[in-house]
Amino acid sequence: MATPEQVEHPELRELIAAAHTLMRAGRATDAVRTLANAYLLLLSLKPELLDQAVATMSGRTVPLAMRWPALGANLDVDAVLAKQPRIVFARDRFALSEAMTYYEFTLETSIAAGA
Amino acid sequence: MKFGLFYELQTPKPYDGDSWDPDAERRVFHEMLEQVELADQLGFDYVFEVEHHFLEEYSHSSAPELMMAALSQRTKQIRLGHGIVLTPPPYNHPARVAERIATLDILSNGRVEFGTGESASEMELGGFGVDRGLKKSMWEEATREIANMLASEPYPGFDGEFFSMPARNVVPKPLQKPHPPMWVAASRRETTMVAARFGLASLGFGFETPEELGERATEYYRLLREESMPIGHALNPGLAVLNTFMMGKTDDEAIRRSAGGPGFFSYSLGYYYTPATGDTHPPGGRNLYRAYRDASPEQAAQESVERRGFLSEAEIRKGEPEDEVERALYRAARSGNAIGSTKRLRKTLKQYENQHLDVMVFVAQAGDRRHEHIMESIDQFGRELLPEFHERHESVHRTWRAKQLRGLEFPINSSI
Repeated sequence: MATPEQVEHPELRELIAAAHTLMRAGRATDAVRTLANAYLLLLSLKPELLDQAVATMSGRTVPLAMRWPALGANLDVDAVLAKQPRIVFARDRFALSEAMTYYEFTLETSIAAGA
Repeated sequence: MKFGLFYELQTPKPYDGDSWDPDAERRVFHEMLEQVELADQLGFDYVFEVEHHFLEEYSHSSAPELMMAALSQRTKQIRLGHGIVLTPPPYNHPARVAERIATLDILSNGRVEFGTGESASEMELGGFGVDRGLKKSMWEEATREIANMLASEPYPGFDGEFFSMPARNVVPKPLQKPHPPMWVAASRRETTMVAARFGLASLGFGFETPEELGERATEYYRLLREESMPIGHALNPGLAVLNTFMMGKTDDEAIRRSAGGPGFFSYSLGYYYTPATGDTHPPGGRNLYRAYRDASPEQAAQESVERRGFLSEAEIRKGEPEDEVERALYRAARSGNAIGSTKRLRKTLKQYENQHLDVMVFVAQAGDRRHEHIMESIDQFGRELLPEFHERHESVHRTWRAKQLRGLEFPINSSI
Protein backbone atom coordinates (compact mmCIF):
# COMPACT_ATOMS: atom_id res chain seq x y z
CA MET A 1 0.00 0.00 0.00
CA ALA A 2 1.67 3.20 -1.17
CA THR A 3 0.97 6.42 0.72
CA PRO A 4 2.71 9.83 0.79
CA GLU A 5 3.88 9.08 4.36
CA GLN A 6 6.31 6.54 2.87
CA VAL A 7 8.18 9.31 1.04
CA GLU A 8 11.16 10.33 3.15
CA HIS A 9 12.11 13.71 1.72
CA PRO A 10 9.89 16.29 3.48
CA GLU A 11 9.38 18.67 0.56
CA LEU A 12 8.66 15.87 -1.89
CA ARG A 13 6.29 14.24 0.58
CA GLU A 14 4.48 17.54 1.05
CA LEU A 15 4.07 18.09 -2.68
CA ILE A 16 2.69 14.60 -3.25
CA ALA A 17 0.34 14.91 -0.28
CA ALA A 18 -0.84 18.30 -1.55
CA ALA A 19 -1.49 16.81 -4.98
CA HIS A 20 -3.53 14.06 -3.36
CA THR A 21 -5.67 16.63 -1.55
CA LEU A 22 -6.18 18.61 -4.76
CA MET A 23 -7.10 15.46 -6.66
CA ARG A 24 -9.63 14.43 -4.02
CA ALA A 25 -11.13 17.92 -4.23
CA GLY A 26 -11.61 17.48 -7.98
CA ARG A 27 -8.92 20.06 -8.86
CA ALA A 28 -7.27 17.90 -11.47
CA THR A 29 -5.25 20.58 -13.24
CA ASP A 30 -3.77 21.91 -10.01
CA ALA A 31 -2.95 18.37 -8.96
CA VAL A 32 -1.14 17.65 -12.23
CA ARG A 33 0.92 20.85 -11.95
CA THR A 34 1.86 19.98 -8.37
CA LEU A 35 2.85 16.47 -9.39
CA ALA A 36 4.97 17.84 -12.23
CA ASN A 37 6.86 19.92 -9.65
CA ALA A 38 7.14 16.86 -7.41
CA TYR A 39 8.59 14.77 -10.22
CA LEU A 40 11.14 17.42 -11.15
CA LEU A 41 12.14 17.59 -7.48
CA LEU A 42 12.48 13.79 -7.43
CA LEU A 43 14.77 13.92 -10.47
CA SER A 44 16.95 16.49 -8.73
CA LEU A 45 17.09 14.32 -5.61
CA LYS A 46 17.75 11.13 -7.56
CA PRO A 47 19.71 12.14 -10.67
CA GLU A 48 20.48 8.47 -11.34
CA LEU A 49 16.96 8.27 -12.81
CA LEU A 50 18.33 10.43 -15.64
CA ASP A 51 21.25 8.07 -16.22
CA GLN A 52 19.64 4.65 -16.03
CA ALA A 53 18.42 3.57 -19.45
CA VAL A 54 15.43 1.43 -20.38
CA ALA A 55 14.54 -0.04 -23.75
CA THR A 56 11.39 1.26 -25.40
CA MET A 57 9.05 -0.54 -27.75
CA SER A 58 10.65 1.27 -30.66
CA GLY A 59 13.94 -0.46 -29.87
CA ARG A 60 15.63 2.73 -28.62
CA THR A 61 16.86 3.23 -25.11
CA VAL A 62 15.77 6.27 -23.14
CA PRO A 63 16.48 7.43 -19.60
CA LEU A 64 14.37 5.74 -16.94
CA ALA A 65 12.97 9.17 -16.08
CA MET A 66 11.08 9.20 -19.41
CA ARG A 67 8.58 6.67 -18.07
CA TRP A 68 6.68 9.70 -16.70
CA PRO A 69 3.34 9.45 -18.55
CA ALA A 70 2.96 11.68 -21.61
CA LEU A 71 -0.61 12.79 -20.97
CA GLY A 72 -0.20 16.46 -21.72
CA ALA A 73 2.37 17.35 -19.05
CA ASN A 74 5.24 15.99 -21.07
CA LEU A 75 8.84 15.48 -20.07
CA ASP A 76 11.09 17.02 -22.72
CA VAL A 77 13.41 14.23 -23.86
CA ASP A 78 16.16 16.59 -25.07
CA ALA A 79 16.16 18.37 -21.74
CA VAL A 80 16.39 15.04 -19.95
CA LEU A 81 19.32 13.97 -22.12
CA ALA A 82 21.00 17.29 -21.28
CA LYS A 83 20.37 16.53 -17.56
CA GLN A 84 18.21 19.64 -17.30
CA PRO A 85 14.77 18.03 -17.04
CA ARG A 86 11.71 20.14 -17.65
CA ILE A 87 8.04 19.40 -18.16
CA VAL A 88 6.19 21.06 -21.02
CA PHE A 89 2.45 21.58 -20.67
CA ALA A 90 0.69 20.83 -23.93
CA ARG A 91 -2.61 22.19 -22.59
CA ASP A 92 -4.18 24.11 -19.75
CA ARG A 93 -6.78 21.64 -18.47
CA PHE A 94 -6.42 18.11 -17.20
CA ALA A 95 -8.93 15.42 -16.34
CA LEU A 96 -9.20 13.59 -13.04
CA SER A 97 -8.08 10.31 -14.59
CA GLU A 98 -4.90 12.04 -15.74
CA ALA A 99 -4.26 13.48 -12.28
CA MET A 100 -4.81 10.01 -10.78
CA THR A 101 -2.37 8.47 -13.26
CA TYR A 102 0.33 11.06 -12.56
CA TYR A 103 -0.26 10.72 -8.82
CA GLU A 104 0.15 6.93 -8.79
CA PHE A 105 3.23 7.13 -10.98
CA THR A 106 4.94 9.86 -8.95
CA LEU A 107 4.18 8.23 -5.61
CA GLU A 108 5.30 4.74 -6.70
CA THR A 109 8.44 6.05 -8.38
CA SER A 110 9.40 8.18 -5.37
CA ILE A 111 9.02 5.29 -2.96
CA ALA A 112 10.83 2.86 -5.27
CA ALA A 113 13.71 5.33 -5.64
CA GLY A 114 14.00 5.66 -1.87
CA ALA A 115 13.42 9.40 -1.97
CA MET B 1 -13.09 -16.91 -8.87
CA LYS B 2 -15.24 -16.56 -11.96
CA PHE B 3 -14.14 -17.29 -15.53
CA GLY B 4 -14.50 -15.76 -18.93
CA LEU B 5 -13.35 -16.06 -22.52
CA PHE B 6 -11.69 -13.21 -24.40
CA TYR B 7 -11.86 -12.59 -28.15
CA GLU B 8 -9.83 -10.48 -30.54
CA LEU B 9 -11.07 -12.48 -33.55
CA GLN B 10 -7.54 -13.06 -34.73
CA THR B 11 -7.42 -13.89 -38.42
CA PRO B 12 -3.86 -14.64 -39.52
CA LYS B 13 -3.16 -14.78 -43.23
CA PRO B 14 -2.01 -18.11 -44.63
CA TYR B 15 1.74 -18.58 -44.46
CA ASP B 16 2.10 -19.07 -48.20
CA GLY B 17 -0.41 -16.50 -49.45
CA ASP B 18 -0.68 -12.72 -49.55
CA SER B 19 -4.34 -12.57 -48.69
CA TRP B 20 -6.87 -14.47 -46.67
CA ASP B 21 -8.84 -17.47 -47.72
CA PRO B 22 -12.22 -15.96 -48.82
CA ASP B 23 -13.88 -17.97 -46.05
CA ALA B 24 -11.43 -17.06 -43.28
CA GLU B 25 -13.40 -14.30 -41.54
CA ARG B 26 -16.72 -16.14 -41.77
CA ARG B 27 -15.05 -19.21 -40.26
CA VAL B 28 -13.42 -17.31 -37.37
CA PHE B 29 -16.60 -15.39 -36.52
CA HIS B 30 -18.82 -18.46 -36.56
CA GLU B 31 -16.29 -20.48 -34.59
CA MET B 32 -16.43 -17.84 -31.87
CA LEU B 33 -20.22 -18.14 -31.72
CA GLU B 34 -19.92 -21.92 -31.32
CA GLN B 35 -17.23 -21.63 -28.66
CA VAL B 36 -19.22 -19.16 -26.58
CA GLU B 37 -22.38 -21.21 -26.97
CA LEU B 38 -20.55 -24.19 -25.50
CA ALA B 39 -19.03 -22.07 -22.71
CA ASP B 40 -22.51 -20.79 -21.87
CA GLN B 41 -23.86 -24.34 -21.59
CA LEU B 42 -20.98 -25.33 -19.29
CA GLY B 43 -21.44 -22.39 -16.94
CA PHE B 44 -18.63 -20.00 -17.93
CA ASP B 45 -19.45 -16.60 -16.47
CA TYR B 46 -18.28 -14.08 -19.07
CA VAL B 47 -17.31 -13.50 -22.64
CA PHE B 48 -15.39 -10.30 -23.41
CA GLU B 49 -14.81 -9.05 -26.93
CA VAL B 50 -12.54 -6.19 -27.95
CA GLU B 51 -13.22 -3.25 -30.24
CA HIS B 52 -10.30 -2.70 -32.59
CA HIS B 53 -10.05 -1.09 -35.99
CA PHE B 54 -7.72 -1.69 -38.92
CA LEU B 55 -5.45 -4.11 -37.01
CA GLU B 56 -5.26 -6.68 -39.80
CA GLU B 57 -4.69 -10.26 -38.66
CA TYR B 58 -4.31 -9.21 -35.01
CA SER B 59 -7.97 -8.31 -34.50
CA HIS B 60 -10.91 -8.29 -36.90
CA SER B 61 -13.31 -7.39 -34.09
CA SER B 62 -14.41 -3.94 -35.20
CA ALA B 63 -18.14 -4.37 -34.56
CA PRO B 64 -18.35 -6.32 -31.29
CA GLU B 65 -21.88 -5.05 -30.64
CA LEU B 66 -23.08 -7.17 -33.57
CA MET B 67 -21.29 -10.29 -32.33
CA MET B 68 -22.77 -9.65 -28.89
CA ALA B 69 -26.24 -9.28 -30.40
CA ALA B 70 -25.82 -12.64 -32.13
CA LEU B 71 -24.60 -14.21 -28.89
CA SER B 72 -27.52 -12.77 -26.97
CA GLN B 73 -29.78 -15.02 -29.05
CA ARG B 74 -27.63 -18.15 -28.83
CA THR B 75 -26.79 -18.13 -25.12
CA LYS B 76 -28.81 -18.17 -21.92
CA GLN B 77 -26.69 -17.17 -18.92
CA ILE B 78 -23.18 -16.08 -19.90
CA ARG B 79 -22.54 -12.35 -19.33
CA LEU B 80 -21.83 -10.43 -22.54
CA GLY B 81 -18.84 -8.18 -22.03
CA HIS B 82 -17.55 -5.38 -24.15
CA GLY B 83 -13.84 -5.70 -23.56
CA ILE B 84 -13.98 -2.81 -24.40
CA VAL B 85 -15.97 -0.09 -26.24
CA LEU B 86 -13.74 2.74 -27.41
CA THR B 87 -15.44 5.73 -25.80
CA PRO B 88 -13.45 8.72 -27.14
CA PRO B 89 -16.15 10.48 -29.21
CA PRO B 90 -14.32 10.32 -32.57
CA TYR B 91 -14.70 6.52 -32.41
CA ASN B 92 -18.28 6.37 -31.15
CA HIS B 93 -20.67 9.18 -30.33
CA PRO B 94 -21.58 8.77 -26.65
CA ALA B 95 -25.32 8.69 -27.36
CA ARG B 96 -24.83 5.88 -29.89
CA VAL B 97 -22.87 3.89 -27.30
CA ALA B 98 -25.62 4.38 -24.70
CA GLU B 99 -28.27 3.30 -27.22
CA ARG B 100 -26.35 0.18 -28.23
CA ILE B 101 -25.55 -0.84 -24.65
CA ALA B 102 -29.17 -0.46 -23.61
CA THR B 103 -30.46 -2.33 -26.65
CA LEU B 104 -28.06 -5.21 -26.04
CA ASP B 105 -29.07 -5.29 -22.39
CA ILE B 106 -32.70 -5.66 -23.42
CA LEU B 107 -31.95 -8.31 -26.08
CA SER B 108 -29.85 -10.33 -23.62
CA ASN B 109 -32.28 -9.97 -20.70
CA GLY B 110 -29.84 -7.93 -18.63
CA ARG B 111 -26.53 -9.66 -19.26
CA VAL B 112 -24.35 -6.77 -20.49
CA GLU B 113 -20.98 -5.84 -18.99
CA PHE B 114 -20.02 -2.37 -20.22
CA GLY B 115 -16.27 -2.25 -20.64
CA THR B 116 -14.71 1.07 -21.65
CA GLY B 117 -11.32 2.16 -22.93
CA GLU B 118 -9.38 4.60 -25.06
CA SER B 119 -7.14 2.60 -27.48
CA ALA B 120 -3.41 3.06 -28.02
CA SER B 121 -2.31 2.09 -31.53
CA GLU B 122 -1.55 4.71 -34.17
CA MET B 123 -3.50 2.69 -36.75
CA GLU B 124 -6.66 3.33 -34.74
CA LEU B 125 -5.94 6.78 -33.30
CA GLY B 126 -4.77 8.10 -36.67
CA GLY B 127 -7.60 6.36 -38.52
CA PHE B 128 -10.23 8.18 -36.47
CA GLY B 129 -8.31 11.41 -35.90
CA VAL B 130 -7.91 10.97 -32.15
CA ASP B 131 -5.17 13.07 -30.53
CA ARG B 132 -3.04 10.66 -28.49
CA GLY B 133 -2.44 13.30 -25.82
CA LEU B 134 -6.18 13.82 -25.29
CA LYS B 135 -7.49 10.29 -25.41
CA LYS B 136 -7.64 9.77 -21.65
CA SER B 137 -9.52 13.03 -21.14
CA MET B 138 -11.88 12.04 -23.96
CA TRP B 139 -12.43 8.62 -22.40
CA GLU B 140 -13.28 10.15 -19.03
CA GLU B 141 -15.67 12.78 -20.33
CA ALA B 142 -17.51 10.42 -22.66
CA THR B 143 -17.68 7.50 -20.22
CA ARG B 144 -19.19 9.69 -17.50
CA GLU B 145 -21.78 11.07 -19.91
CA ILE B 146 -22.69 7.65 -21.32
CA ALA B 147 -23.44 6.50 -17.76
CA ASN B 148 -25.57 9.63 -17.32
CA MET B 149 -27.45 8.89 -20.55
CA LEU B 150 -28.15 5.31 -19.45
CA ALA B 151 -29.35 6.35 -16.01
CA SER B 152 -31.07 9.70 -16.56
CA GLU B 153 -34.56 10.27 -17.91
CA PRO B 154 -34.33 12.57 -19.75
CA TYR B 155 -30.64 13.22 -20.28
CA PRO B 156 -30.25 16.93 -19.51
CA GLY B 157 -27.68 17.58 -22.23
CA PHE B 158 -24.01 18.40 -21.99
CA ASP B 159 -21.60 21.06 -23.10
CA GLY B 160 -18.17 19.49 -22.85
CA GLU B 161 -14.64 19.76 -24.10
CA PHE B 162 -14.92 16.89 -26.58
CA PHE B 163 -18.63 16.63 -27.36
CA SER B 164 -21.82 18.52 -26.71
CA MET B 165 -25.48 17.72 -27.22
CA PRO B 166 -28.80 19.25 -26.20
CA ALA B 167 -31.24 17.66 -23.76
CA ARG B 168 -32.70 14.45 -25.14
CA ASN B 169 -34.28 11.36 -23.70
CA VAL B 170 -31.79 8.69 -24.78
CA VAL B 171 -33.85 5.54 -25.34
CA PRO B 172 -34.12 2.65 -24.79
CA LYS B 173 -33.02 2.33 -21.18
CA PRO B 174 -31.08 -0.75 -20.05
CA LEU B 175 -32.76 -3.47 -17.99
CA GLN B 176 -29.99 -3.33 -15.40
CA LYS B 177 -30.38 -0.28 -13.18
CA PRO B 178 -29.00 2.28 -13.00
CA HIS B 179 -26.84 0.88 -15.83
CA PRO B 180 -24.92 -2.33 -16.63
CA PRO B 181 -21.73 -2.98 -14.61
CA MET B 182 -18.92 -0.77 -15.89
CA TRP B 183 -15.27 -1.69 -16.52
CA VAL B 184 -12.13 -0.09 -17.84
CA ALA B 185 -9.25 -1.71 -19.73
CA ALA B 186 -6.06 -1.51 -17.65
CA SER B 187 -2.69 -2.31 -19.19
CA ARG B 188 -0.84 -0.56 -16.39
CA ARG B 189 -1.05 -0.61 -12.62
CA GLU B 190 -1.86 3.11 -12.57
CA THR B 191 -5.03 2.51 -14.59
CA THR B 192 -6.16 -0.18 -12.16
CA MET B 193 -5.94 2.48 -9.44
CA VAL B 194 -7.90 4.92 -11.62
CA ALA B 195 -10.50 2.16 -11.91
CA ALA B 196 -10.67 1.84 -8.12
CA ARG B 197 -11.15 5.56 -7.58
CA PHE B 198 -13.82 5.75 -10.29
CA GLY B 199 -15.64 2.65 -9.03
CA LEU B 200 -14.97 0.64 -12.18
CA ALA B 201 -13.91 -2.97 -12.47
CA SER B 202 -10.43 -3.34 -13.91
CA LEU B 203 -10.00 -5.55 -16.96
CA GLY B 204 -6.29 -6.23 -16.62
CA PHE B 205 -4.42 -6.70 -19.87
CA GLY B 206 -1.04 -6.99 -18.16
CA PHE B 207 -0.88 -10.80 -17.79
CA GLU B 208 -0.14 -10.12 -14.12
CA THR B 209 1.42 -12.78 -11.92
CA PRO B 210 -0.47 -13.97 -8.82
CA GLU B 211 1.86 -11.96 -6.56
CA GLU B 212 1.37 -8.75 -8.52
CA LEU B 213 -2.33 -9.38 -8.55
CA GLY B 214 -2.34 -9.83 -4.78
CA GLU B 215 -0.74 -6.42 -4.25
CA ARG B 216 -3.12 -4.80 -6.71
CA ALA B 217 -6.19 -6.42 -5.15
CA THR B 218 -5.27 -5.09 -1.70
CA GLU B 219 -4.66 -1.57 -3.00
CA TYR B 220 -7.61 -1.58 -5.40
CA TYR B 221 -10.11 -2.46 -2.68
CA ARG B 222 -8.54 0.00 -0.23
CA LEU B 223 -8.88 2.85 -2.72
CA LEU B 224 -12.42 1.78 -3.56
CA ARG B 225 -13.34 2.00 0.13
CA GLU B 226 -11.44 5.16 0.97
CA GLU B 227 -11.27 7.27 -2.17
CA SER B 228 -14.21 6.43 -4.43
CA MET B 229 -15.45 9.26 -6.63
CA PRO B 230 -17.65 7.19 -8.98
CA ILE B 231 -17.73 7.97 -12.67
CA GLY B 232 -21.02 6.08 -13.03
CA HIS B 233 -24.18 5.82 -10.96
CA ALA B 234 -23.18 2.50 -9.34
CA LEU B 235 -19.87 0.88 -8.46
CA ASN B 236 -18.67 -2.30 -10.09
CA PRO B 237 -15.91 -3.58 -7.78
CA GLY B 238 -13.77 -6.18 -9.48
CA LEU B 239 -10.42 -7.23 -10.81
CA ALA B 240 -10.00 -9.42 -13.88
CA VAL B 241 -6.77 -10.73 -15.36
CA LEU B 242 -6.08 -12.18 -18.80
CA ASN B 243 -4.20 -15.41 -19.40
CA THR B 244 -3.62 -17.50 -22.49
CA PHE B 245 -5.54 -20.77 -22.27
CA MET B 246 -5.33 -24.22 -23.77
CA MET B 247 -5.95 -27.62 -22.20
CA GLY B 248 -5.08 -31.19 -23.02
CA LYS B 249 -5.06 -34.57 -21.36
CA THR B 250 -1.39 -33.96 -20.59
CA ASP B 251 0.73 -30.83 -20.36
CA ASP B 252 2.56 -31.87 -23.52
CA GLU B 253 -0.66 -32.18 -25.45
CA ALA B 254 -1.81 -28.74 -24.26
CA ILE B 255 1.50 -27.17 -25.28
CA ARG B 256 1.33 -28.82 -28.69
CA ARG B 257 -2.27 -27.63 -29.17
CA SER B 258 -1.39 -24.17 -27.96
CA ALA B 259 0.75 -23.96 -31.09
CA GLY B 260 1.53 -20.46 -32.29
CA GLY B 261 -1.41 -18.93 -30.41
CA PRO B 262 0.33 -16.99 -27.64
CA GLY B 263 3.37 -16.29 -29.82
CA PHE B 264 1.37 -14.76 -32.65
CA PHE B 265 -0.87 -12.92 -30.19
CA SER B 266 2.16 -11.28 -28.62
CA TYR B 267 4.00 -10.71 -31.91
CA SER B 268 1.08 -9.07 -33.70
CA LEU B 269 0.09 -7.00 -30.67
CA GLY B 270 3.68 -5.82 -30.32
CA TYR B 271 3.81 -5.06 -34.05
CA TYR B 272 0.84 -2.69 -33.95
CA TYR B 273 1.72 -1.07 -30.63
CA THR B 274 5.38 -0.45 -31.42
CA PRO B 275 5.75 2.94 -33.13
CA ALA B 276 8.57 1.75 -35.39
CA THR B 277 6.35 -0.91 -36.97
CA GLY B 278 2.74 -0.13 -36.07
CA ASP B 279 2.85 3.53 -37.12
CA THR B 280 4.21 2.65 -40.56
CA HIS B 281 2.09 -0.43 -41.28
CA PRO B 282 1.20 -0.49 -44.99
CA PRO B 283 -2.57 -1.18 -45.08
CA GLY B 284 -3.18 -4.47 -46.83
CA GLY B 285 0.49 -4.81 -47.57
CA ARG B 286 1.94 -7.27 -45.08
CA ASN B 287 1.60 -10.87 -44.04
CA LEU B 288 2.12 -10.67 -40.28
CA TYR B 289 1.71 -14.37 -39.71
CA ARG B 290 4.48 -15.15 -42.16
CA ALA B 291 6.66 -12.43 -40.66
CA TYR B 292 6.07 -13.91 -37.23
CA ARG B 293 6.96 -17.42 -38.36
CA ASP B 294 10.03 -16.32 -40.32
CA ALA B 295 11.43 -13.60 -38.11
CA SER B 296 10.71 -15.08 -34.75
CA PRO B 297 11.37 -18.78 -34.98
CA GLU B 298 11.86 -18.90 -31.24
CA GLN B 299 8.27 -17.85 -30.89
CA ALA B 300 6.86 -20.27 -33.42
CA ALA B 301 4.71 -23.18 -32.51
CA GLN B 302 7.37 -25.79 -33.12
CA GLU B 303 9.53 -24.18 -30.50
CA SER B 304 6.89 -24.57 -27.84
CA VAL B 305 6.73 -28.25 -28.63
CA GLU B 306 10.48 -28.65 -28.66
CA ARG B 307 10.74 -26.83 -25.35
CA ARG B 308 8.93 -29.78 -23.84
CA GLY B 309 7.57 -27.81 -20.97
CA PHE B 310 6.86 -24.39 -19.56
CA LEU B 311 9.26 -21.73 -18.51
CA SER B 312 9.39 -21.44 -14.75
CA GLU B 313 8.24 -18.22 -13.13
CA ALA B 314 11.91 -17.37 -12.48
CA GLU B 315 12.84 -18.04 -16.12
CA ILE B 316 10.00 -15.87 -17.35
CA ARG B 317 11.05 -13.03 -15.08
CA LYS B 318 14.75 -13.25 -15.90
CA GLY B 319 14.48 -11.51 -19.24
CA GLU B 320 11.47 -9.35 -18.49
CA PRO B 321 11.35 -5.81 -19.86
CA GLU B 322 10.98 -3.05 -17.30
CA ASP B 323 8.17 -1.23 -19.07
CA GLU B 324 4.80 -2.60 -18.01
CA VAL B 325 3.26 -2.81 -21.47
CA GLU B 326 6.32 -4.48 -22.96
CA ARG B 327 6.30 -6.86 -20.03
CA ALA B 328 2.70 -7.80 -20.79
CA LEU B 329 3.69 -8.67 -24.36
CA TYR B 330 6.64 -10.68 -23.14
CA ARG B 331 4.47 -12.63 -20.75
CA ALA B 332 1.66 -13.11 -23.24
CA ALA B 333 4.01 -15.15 -25.38
CA ARG B 334 5.68 -17.09 -22.61
CA SER B 335 3.53 -17.58 -19.56
CA GLY B 336 1.78 -20.92 -19.36
CA ASN B 337 -0.43 -20.16 -16.38
CA ALA B 338 -3.55 -21.47 -18.09
CA ILE B 339 -2.00 -23.91 -20.54
CA GLY B 340 -1.80 -27.53 -19.49
CA SER B 341 -3.61 -30.50 -18.04
CA THR B 342 -6.41 -30.32 -15.51
CA LYS B 343 -3.92 -30.97 -12.73
CA ARG B 344 -1.63 -28.17 -13.82
CA LEU B 345 -4.40 -25.59 -14.26
CA ARG B 346 -5.91 -26.47 -10.90
CA LYS B 347 -2.57 -25.65 -9.29
CA THR B 348 -1.73 -22.46 -11.19
CA LEU B 349 -5.23 -20.98 -11.09
CA LYS B 350 -5.48 -21.60 -7.37
CA GLN B 351 -2.56 -19.23 -6.93
CA TYR B 352 -4.72 -16.45 -8.39
CA GLU B 353 -7.67 -17.56 -6.31
CA ASN B 354 -5.52 -17.34 -3.18
CA GLN B 355 -4.72 -13.72 -4.07
CA HIS B 356 -8.45 -12.93 -4.29
CA LEU B 357 -8.74 -12.49 -8.04
CA ASP B 358 -12.39 -11.94 -8.99
CA VAL B 359 -12.36 -13.02 -12.64
CA MET B 360 -9.85 -14.92 -14.77
CA VAL B 361 -10.34 -14.29 -18.49
CA PHE B 362 -8.94 -16.80 -20.95
CA VAL B 363 -7.49 -15.97 -24.35
CA ALA B 364 -8.23 -19.16 -26.25
CA GLN B 365 -8.78 -17.99 -29.84
CA ALA B 366 -5.37 -16.80 -31.01
CA GLY B 367 -3.02 -17.25 -33.95
CA ASP B 368 -3.16 -20.62 -35.65
CA ARG B 369 -4.88 -22.54 -32.90
CA ARG B 370 -7.53 -24.97 -34.06
CA HIS B 371 -11.22 -24.57 -33.32
CA GLU B 372 -11.68 -28.19 -32.26
CA HIS B 373 -8.88 -27.89 -29.71
CA ILE B 374 -10.43 -24.73 -28.29
CA MET B 375 -13.80 -26.45 -28.05
CA GLU B 376 -12.25 -29.44 -26.28
CA SER B 377 -10.40 -27.14 -23.89
CA ILE B 378 -13.57 -25.23 -23.02
CA ASP B 379 -15.33 -28.55 -22.48
CA GLN B 380 -12.51 -29.96 -20.33
CA PHE B 381 -12.30 -26.84 -18.18
CA GLY B 382 -16.06 -26.56 -17.85
CA ARG B 383 -16.45 -30.14 -16.70
CA GLU B 384 -13.31 -30.71 -14.66
CA LEU B 385 -12.41 -27.39 -13.04
CA LEU B 386 -15.16 -24.78 -13.27
CA PRO B 387 -17.51 -26.36 -10.67
CA GLU B 388 -14.92 -26.44 -7.88
CA PHE B 389 -13.80 -22.85 -8.50
CA HIS B 390 -17.43 -21.74 -8.60
CA GLU B 391 -18.11 -23.53 -5.35
CA ARG B 392 -15.26 -21.72 -3.62
CA HIS B 393 -16.34 -18.44 -5.22
CA GLU B 394 -19.67 -18.77 -3.44
CA SER B 395 -18.39 -20.21 -0.17
CA VAL B 396 -15.13 -18.27 0.32
CA HIS B 397 -14.64 -15.40 -2.11
CA ARG B 398 -18.04 -13.80 -1.61
CA THR B 399 -17.34 -13.49 2.11
CA TRP B 400 -13.96 -11.88 1.38
CA ARG B 401 -15.55 -9.45 -1.08
CA ALA B 402 -18.29 -8.54 1.35
CA LYS B 403 -15.60 -7.59 3.88
CA GLN B 404 -13.79 -5.45 1.32
CA LEU B 405 -16.96 -3.62 0.39
CA ARG B 406 -18.21 -3.05 3.92
CA GLY B 407 -18.94 0.58 4.65
CA LEU B 408 -19.15 1.71 1.01
CA GLU B 409 -21.81 4.36 0.74
CA PHE B 410 -22.43 4.11 -3.01
CA PRO B 411 -24.82 1.71 -4.75
CA ILE B 412 -23.22 -1.36 -6.31
CA ASN B 413 -24.19 -3.13 -9.51
CA SER B 414 -21.85 -6.05 -10.08
CA SER B 415 -22.25 -9.55 -11.45
CA ILE B 416 -19.21 -10.82 -9.50
